[in-house]
Amino acid sequence: MINLGRSGSLRNSKSGNKTIILKVPSEIKQIKKVSSGILDSLASQNIDEAALFDIRLCVEEAVRNAIVHGNHCDKRLSVTVSYWIEEGSFIIEVEDEGKGFDHKYLPDPTDEGNMLRNHGRGVYLIKRLMNEVQYNDTGNKVRMVKRIEQ
Amino acid sequence: MALKTEQKNGLMVCHIDGEIDINTAPDLKRAFDKLLSKKELKIVINLTKVTYVDSSGLATLVEILKNMRAYGGKMRLTNLSPKIKSLFEITKLEKLFDIKASEEEAISTFV
Repeated sequence: MINLGRSGSLRNSKSGNKTIILKVPSEIKQIKKVSSGILDSLASQNIDEAALFDIRLCVEEAVRNAIVHGNHCDKRLSVTVSYWIEEGSFIIEVEDEGKGFDHKYLPDPTDEGNMLRNHGRGVYLIKRLMNEVQYNDTGNKVRMVKRIEQ
Repeated sequence: MALKTEQKNGLMVCHIDGEIDINTAPDLKRAFDKLLSKKELKIVINLTKVTYVDSSGLATLVEILKNMRAYGGKMRLTNLSPKIKSLFEITKLEKLFDIKASEEEAISTFV
């Protein structure tokens, strides 16, 4: 793994996938910085607009959750984002320094009783828009996979 | 994100331009609170120029709808891009909101 910061480009390489690692403080303004950096590095990948929209949305939701719910916006705590391309898929991991949560026990925002709630759709959108989503046992790290080649 | 409003056929038509997300959603909420305080109770929100909505944006639209209903108001959403419409479908918010294909159709349903 190599740390290229925000400026590294991402290449599809079967052997020795290039991984970009970002470590950002827990500030809301970092959400856009992270997603912009990722979209920039995917620019040369010929990914369709709909998939890019999904990637951007899920990255921003995951980083927001890490900053707000994981690290409680404590600037001393970091969010680590690692991403790479592997066998036609964009793979990204977002990790915070918080205590984690159990994603299986989140209320379903599409249940009639929850429809009018003004929160609780971020993780749901991630699960619906990404092809694979996995949390670690602690719940402070999510791995998301989006297929980018048909 | 910018919000332009115009009176049409006795109701308020709002054109949102840009992204509705964690950064812009609070401004949007404030703008609609202001409209509500002026007793604008029939509102059409045209989303033609909205290119991106995140969960904060969806939540804010839900909040605006709730406030409208609390005051006995009605609102319609129109001209959603296919991608943004799909977010309303995935989250089933399409059942909660009155979504019309065009501004004209939305206006006609108020008459």
